[in-house]
Amino acid sequence: MIRVETQGAVRVVTLDRPAKRNALTVSMLASLADAMRVDVGVRAIVLLGAGSVFCSGFDLRERVAGDDLGALREQLRRLADVVSIMRTGAVPVVVGVQGAAVAGGCALLGGCDVVVAERTAKLGYPVLRLGISPAVTAPFLRAAVGDGACRAMLMDPSLISAERAERIGLVHELVDGSEQVVTRALAIGKDLASKPGVAVASTRRWLETLATCSDATRSRAMQASLDALDDETTRRLEEQVWQR
Amino acid sequence: MNDSALLTVDGAIATLTLNRPEQRNAMSVELLEGLHERVGELETATEVRVVVLTGAGRAFCAGMDLKQVIIDDGADWAGARLLESLARLTLRVRKLPMVVLAKVNGAAIGGGCGFSCVADVSVTHADAKLGFPEVDLGICPAVVAPWLVRKIGVGPARRVLLSGGLMSGAEAHTIGMVDHVADDRASFEALADSIAERLSKGGARALQATRGLLNDLDGSLDEGVLLRGAALSAEVLATAEAQASLRARLV
Repeated sequence: MIRVETQGAVRVVTLDRPAKRNALTVSMLASLADAMRVDVGVRAIVLLGAGSVFCSGFDLRERVAGDDLGALREQLRRLADVVSIMRTGAVPVVVGVQGAAVAGGCALLGGCDVVVAERTAKLGYPVLRLGISPAVTAPFLRAAVGDGACRAMLMDPSLISAERAERIGLVHELVDGSEQVVTRALAIGKDLASKPGVAVASTRRWLETLATCSDATRSRAMQASLDALDDETTRRLEEQVWQR
Repeated sequence: MNDSALLTVDGAIATLTLNRPEQRNAMSVELLEGLHERVGELETATEVRVVVLTGAGRAFCAGMDLKQVIIDDGADWAGARLLESLARLTLRVRKLPMVVLAKVNGAAIGGGCGFSCVADVSVTHADAKLGFPEVDLGICPAVVAPWLVRKIGVGPARRVLLSGGLMSGAEAHTIGMVDHVADDRASFEALADSIAERLSKGGARALQATRGLLNDLDGSLDEGVLLRGAALSAEVLATAEAQASLRARLV
């Protein structure tokens, strides 16, 4: 459900579960982490979603027998791993967002350097109403959009328009139609891959240092999301997801 | 009871209203005391998930009550006390375990605009007037500056605070000083209500964990910086230049 292709020096990674709006399972997140670890010869990564929606977030129907929230805990941990690998890797990551990037799907943007989005796309973290805290993504989101916009997005369980997302700095380029999303994301990936690799990797690492997303900060954020899971989360998932 | 600040609770939604409409809800010592009392009640209101901050009448808050900050020989000067009280109030609001929505129903000026920046989410209408005219008056917006910096970033805050003046709700939305804007006053109430309703749906523990982490990441709980800001603001406010400017304004 994670497809990896190579186009010259560009690795194209596609979330490929369109029937479920590319909802992320534990195993998909594990494959995604592997796909983000680059080999020699890869100079840029382009992350895409198959179908009409980039990613609808975690697959909340995935459950471990005997532990209602076990799969969700594992999804949170693995999501944090994926984003960390994306940010600390040597090559730039471009993402193309069509339709929507929701919750865990929006959090993937935190690992990217360039975000291309369909003008009609919606983005956000509407998970507080499920009793889930999006804190895990806060260190990355605030680095992208600043504290004020980060707070407004995380505390408000709604989606924002791609135009607003561009205004606050979460999206960097708007295009019309989902085909253009793919075309532009690949073109930008190809362009970035053509630049001298050491310069790109060094600049990227330096920016990561300046972003003050320390390991300690990341683990505090992860822990906040894990600590927030309680009986109310189970009850809300039961009512709003599992019984539907 | 001090009725210059009102608190009403409807299920998970609490509304904290600045209630000095004839003075455009200017922050007097009494209003700030009232707000402290009501926020104290909210600190233990376990059923409340969202607090809506708003103003009675047409204004949200016109800022400091200038009449109380003019030095009158022989009387006790309220200026420093007022600024410290505002500093402590902003911190208490930020520490609440629920989500805070600023419903900026009209003019939000100086300290009033800064107060709206303490909220997690804010909404206004396109024609509202917002901003920080402190430097135009010869005073220093030091208490609210940290909140504006957190809201819009250091670079934009520098321009806004040093330029003074006011901007429209639409402009405030463009620069991120408010998060949502209604086209006009007529559609504002419905928009604000729908946001409050949505914010009230969060799980208690998830809200608290998220807000706690954000406060931790952005340095919101740094009381020292707010009190230094209050002291700096009081120092500038007491200068002959500021006092002359304020007197001229009130005559």
